[in-house]
Amino acid sequence: MTMDDLAPRIAAYLAHRMPQASDIEVAGVSRIHGGASRETFRLSASWREGGNRKTRPLILRRDPVTSLIETERDVEYNAYRAFHPTGLPVPEPLYLETDLKWLDRPFFIMEQIEGCTAGSPFNPEPYGALGESVGRQFWTHLGHIAAADPKAIGFDANMGSIAPDACWKRELDKWEQVIDEDELAPQPVARAAIRWLRRNPPPPPPKISVVHGDYRTGNFLFNPDGEIRAILDWEMCHLGDPFEDVAWAADPLWAFQRPDRPGGMIARDEAFAIWEKESGLTIDPIRLRWWEIFNSLKGLAIWISAGKEYQTGANRDPVLAFSSWYCTDVHNRVLAKRLAELSKEARR
Amino acid sequence: MKPDVEQVMQGFFGTLLMDVAPHLNAEYSMGNVGIMGMMMFLTAEEHDRAAEIRVAENAEMRALFAEAAGSVEDAALKAKLTQAAAGGDTSLRIKALDVANAGLAGVLVELQAHVEASRAAWAGPIEARIWDYLLAATERRKLTFPSLG
Repeated sequence: MTMDDLAPRIAAYLAHRMPQASDIEVAGVSRIHGGASRETFRLSASWREGGNRKTRPLILRRDPVTSLIETERDVEYNAYRAFHPTGLPVPEPLYLETDLKWLDRPFFIMEQIEGCTAGSPFNPEPYGALGESVGRQFWTHLGHIAAADPKAIGFDANMGSIAPDACWKRELDKWEQVIDEDELAPQPVARAAIRWLRRNPPPPPPKISVVHGDYRTGNFLFNPDGEIRAILDWEMCHLGDPFEDVAWAADPLWAFQRPDRPGGMIARDEAFAIWEKESGLTIDPIRLRWWEIFNSLKGLAIWISAGKEYQTGANRDPVLAFSSWYCTDVHNRVLAKRLAELSKEARR
Repeated sequence: MKPDVEQVMQGFFGTLLMDVAPHLNAEYSMGNVGIMGMMMFLTAEEHDRAAEIRVAENAEMRALFAEAAGSVEDAALKAKLTQAAAGGDTSLRIKALDVANAGLAGVLVELQAHVEASRAAWAGPIEARIWDYLLAATERRKLTFPSLG
């Protein structure tokens, strides 16, 4: 299906969802690069309503045939719906559609945040002179996500409950299974990490929080003034230990050789201090260490899975091949260094 | 084969980024061209060193297994280590080296799990040897990210 084919079909769908509108036109349909877990398109919709012509830029997120991360689109949509009224900068979700007759695959439509960019985790200075300001907001927002009451904001709908002492095992089981199913060659470092994580379970969190699941450089939009306008890519969100997000955001992969400045923003100590203040929670180094090692393993699982998708021809998006080569390489080194030190400590 | 593969890949990387990408209108296509260009840069490095890395890793793992086989008491694992240590790389084609590498890596996973669970005096030094190998191997495989600045 070409972009030209998509436009009238999206217009037909909007007509179905907006009975008050007439003369609906969809223009400028353009696929955005990078959304390996879901096809993302920007577009502009215009229509006549109440005697006026209205225009609104929109984003359409459609399930791919296969994806880097196998997720349910309603989980992501519900996260936007839960957080949009809270003041956290997320796009307004508009329509969730699972009927295949409209665009062949499930999709959802949300507000497009204009005039913003996303920093690249592979740029040494992803935010330039705005790094300090963006970094403070980045960690403030993550603190607010951790502080949110999942039930009160409706985030926990259809999620099932999880006990604090079960968070780590559920996540580790999930990502170990991904490696079991998708590894194309034995992975000594990943297997060593899994064994270490099982031998050294973390203390439980004091409470269950919303976990974004992919909170990092590249997954939020900021404007030229350095204001974070949208936190995106909630497809791996779940309930769990908020340290999971802290550790992922601070993972060395996103820092591009600057582990002292997570995500290429502010210094680690300042970042964690902001997060503690905004979340009302305290960083426990032992628990955080477990989630740091877990997250590098989770990264490996995602990159291993991406490699299989590409190798088998299930998905030929070049970003899958890139992440399988480059990101696997980084996370293998990060984990090997960390686990080798822990091995020495354990033998002393 | 001239020009060298490394030169061709790095040249294509530059052409894609400087000559092709700016003339594309679609954002998605531009992104793909950028990724493919970066992978050509990485391929240039990998093409030159791939065989050497695999030959070195395979030899180091076999030497490690030969050493460990003298200490491991588990009969089945000892036999597996002895057999793996006795092999050799008869082809320098990357696919053949990868098959051998994967087989050896599987034995390494088994050995490391066994050693971690052992409190015997020999286990600590073997575990340290395994980590020395993994640190060297992951560092050896480090990919150089192209400077885009």
